[in-house]
Amino acid sequence: MTMPDLFRSKRSRRSLGLPHARRRICLAALFLLTASPLLCAQNCTPPESMKAKLQDKPNAAVYNDLGVWFAEKEQYGCAANAFATSLQTEPEQPDLAHVVFMFGVSLYFSGDFKEAIGALQQAEQLGTNEIKIHTILATALDSTHETAGAIAEWRAALAFDPESSTVLDSLSSDLLLANDFQGTIDVLETPRLLGQRTEQQSANLATACTKTGKLDEAAKVLREGLNIAPGSLPLVHQLTAILVQLGRLEEAKTALELALAHHPDDALTHEALGVVLARLKQMAGAKEHLERAIALGDSTPAVKENLARVLAELGAEK
Amino acid sequence: MLPGLQPLRRFKLKAHVLPPAIALAVLSLGFLPAHLRQLGLEKLSPPVFAAEDAPRALWPISIDYPEDGSIFPPGITPPTFLWLDAGGTSWSIDISFADKSAPIHAVSSGEHMRLGAIDPECVSSTNQPPKLTLRQGATWAWTPDASTWAAIQKHSVAKPASVTLTGYREGHTAFSQAHISLSTSADPVGAPIFYRDVPLMPSKGTDGVVEPLAPSAIHLIHWRLRDIQKPESHTVLRDMPSCANCHSFSADGKTFGMDIDGPANDKGLYAVVPVQKHMSIESKDMVHWNTDGRAGQTRVGFMSQVSPDGRYVVSTFAGPMYKLLQSYYVTNFTDYRFLQVFYPTRGILEWLSRATGLRQPLPGADDPKFAQTDGVWSPDGKYIVFARAEARPPRVQGQPQALYANDPNETQIQYDLYRIPFNDGKGGTPERIVGASENGMSNNFPKVSPDGRWIVFVQCRNGQLMRPDSQLYIVPFGGGVARRLRANTSLMNSWHSFSPNGRWLVFSSKSRSPYTQMYLTHIDADGTSSPAILIDNATAANRAVNIPEFANTDGDGIEDIEVHVADLPK
Repeated sequence: MTMPDLFRSKRSRRSLGLPHARRRICLAALFLLTASPLLCAQNCTPPESMKAKLQDKPNAAVYNDLGVWFAEKEQYGCAANAFATSLQTEPEQPDLAHVVFMFGVSLYFSGDFKEAIGALQQAEQLGTNEIKIHTILATALDSTHETAGAIAEWRAALAFDPESSTVLDSLSSDLLLANDFQGTIDVLETPRLLGQRTEQQSANLATACTKTGKLDEAAKVLREGLNIAPGSLPLVHQLTAILVQLGRLEEAKTALELALAHHPDDALTHEALGVVLARLKQMAGAKEHLERAIALGDSTPAVKENLARVLAELGAEK
Repeated sequence: MLPGLQPLRRFKLKAHVLPPAIALAVLSLGFLPAHLRQLGLEKLSPPVFAAEDAPRALWPISIDYPEDGSIFPPGITPPTFLWLDAGGTSWSIDISFADKSAPIHAVSSGEHMRLGAIDPECVSSTNQPPKLTLRQGATWAWTPDASTWAAIQKHSVAKPASVTLTGYREGHTAFSQAHISLSTSADPVGAPIFYRDVPLMPSKGTDGVVEPLAPSAIHLIHWRLRDIQKPESHTVLRDMPSCANCHSFSADGKTFGMDIDGPANDKGLYAVVPVQKHMSIESKDMVHWNTDGRAGQTRVGFMSQVSPDGRYVVSTFAGPMYKLLQSYYVTNFTDYRFLQVFYPTRGILEWLSRATGLRQPLPGADDPKFAQTDGVWSPDGKYIVFARAEARPPRVQGQPQALYANDPNETQIQYDLYRIPFNDGKGGTPERIVGASENGMSNNFPKVSPDGRWIVFVQCRNGQLMRPDSQLYIVPFGGGVARRLRANTSLMNSWHSFSPNGRWLVFSSKSRSPYTQMYLTHIDADGTSSPAILIDNATAANRAVNIPEFANTDGDGIEDIEVHVADLPK
């Protein structure tokens, strides 16, 4: 049996009484102590000040202090080991939920996401309920591509801090991954703070609007986003694609010119502007930007074909 | 904790070791060529050419403030225009008028929005210094000088002025643009605003109990008066040794009432004094709620309101059957942004006669089956409008502690608005106000317009006071269709008060900052509200203003308030 199996019983978590939960944590900790090569590989040297306590029948509190000490030194594997020992030593210790939380956090920061998830879920079950645990657990679940679980944790984190950019960025991205476009819109449409959206949130909201056929709304969101982050190439590119789709080529041209004001050597933007100008029958400008794109390293067949087409048009004009 | 045991040490998470949340870029960023190609643009043949003479598209500027359609009160100090513009590096501001007077042209080389000054006494480990949001950090600002603003105001009364903001790159190429209209009302605000100016410094004691403000910081609460024609407010009351809370003025502006805590944290005191330039609250002015104990054990009034003629005070009390903790749901949080949730779950309306000093239940609003609260007077003194919900215990056994504002673990209560005749204290039958009741929301904090035609109230999902989702609605006094005010901001709208002429409403909001600010909105004869107008510089950037109330007096009608009550706690 692996450690995640120990944490994720098929029995309803709600039906698990505390003694069961504690026994599972205890077993998990024991497993960690005996089976984790990652932790065994670390050189976990305790501080001189704690050596005496550790030699003399240490109790859980001593191991907890040791875990905190290792965590503060960013030796998270050692910290996890110490908390595991603490939980094994005293499964019924006071503040058990927080010790399990620190155990899970240490596992997380040591890179052991799967086992961290199990421990953190147990900490939640034991009553830990604060923004930190939801954020870390959500991040860990994202790392293991458990998007539905991550969404639930991001939502729990959002309840604590509805203005958190990190949480809104991540939750909306996960909702998009889950193809929950209306959910994305619901989360981002009405910011609590005066139209506040990060670049990521603008991009995600515009994507959700696009996917639900609200192209005008998507364009509006992206323009707002660009007004906050004028140098954002991703946003301007996303906006250009939508404006082109809407046939609003002059606006697309303006957006691309804006992008070039901030990024004069961006080949993709030159290529896009060349295409848009060609559509606007502004062939001289189109030629200039397509040639510039090529000079800047854009070597796709499309850009060359487009340039050829523009040159032909210019030749025909002469 | 057992003696000798040390509290468990906790390590702080370091943000910089958190890995990136997830690789988001793949979702929606960096995909222009693919998108363009998906759209059939990889080749230009056959081209679909647009007309050659298509006008150049100007980048749309986002004007955050003032909003299109804003109505300013006459004489208000110049507002700071705020906008976002990815395109421009300098701007022209052109204002034209319907009265054919000369347009105004101004230029802005681009100054970013700035925060106001900080009060160092209100810096705490439990709050955060005010900071510009991401959006505010990208915002450009322009404040017209006093003479320019006076000209704008003068020529925008009869019809709105049209404001065009044009962004330029490299000096002369117009790149971006936006238009708004704004106007100046013919209706003056006509009275100063009295408000409470507070630090946001929740305090967690060694016992883990969270208080909204440590006793040692109570003296930092100030009461201030603001004439909107002046650039700053002046403090009329400060350094109170004792906590003072809700205040109210009589409609005629002659009488002022305020909750003031007495000795031994006695919350059973209420001060009622005449309004004058130099006010003094003496021991003789203190009402001891329920001196003779006839009206119940609990002597804490909630949302007390002085009657229009100053003869009575109506307030919410627990009633004879309950103690204080059996009638209020209270939870304090360490999050300074929304640090307290507080509302009655039981209570009856009682009225105090200043002449007799006696307090009596108001029949029809004294039913212990209900929580009856937020009583306010109609301008003629004939009715009291109040909020009512089925009574319930503030908490049930085993109810988890709410951890943040609007936590589902808060005790749920949704109030409906009612009105009842005062009838010289004899009360009557409460009538439910259609449009402000039975809508699944909590309808609370009513205020009746001075002409008696309208009720503006707060609607939120649960409870009342300091609710993040609170929105202002207007409904006819006799009930009808409630309309959401145009002035509502994105975060918390409450603590509203009508100007004496009924054409302006002042309210508080947190949409620009966790440190609450005050706004005005114009209410026309049809009850239509205009976009919110910020009252600039009402306090330091790290202090909050709340409970604003128009005081029906001159702009400098109250110079100071002194408290000389001998037995207040020191």
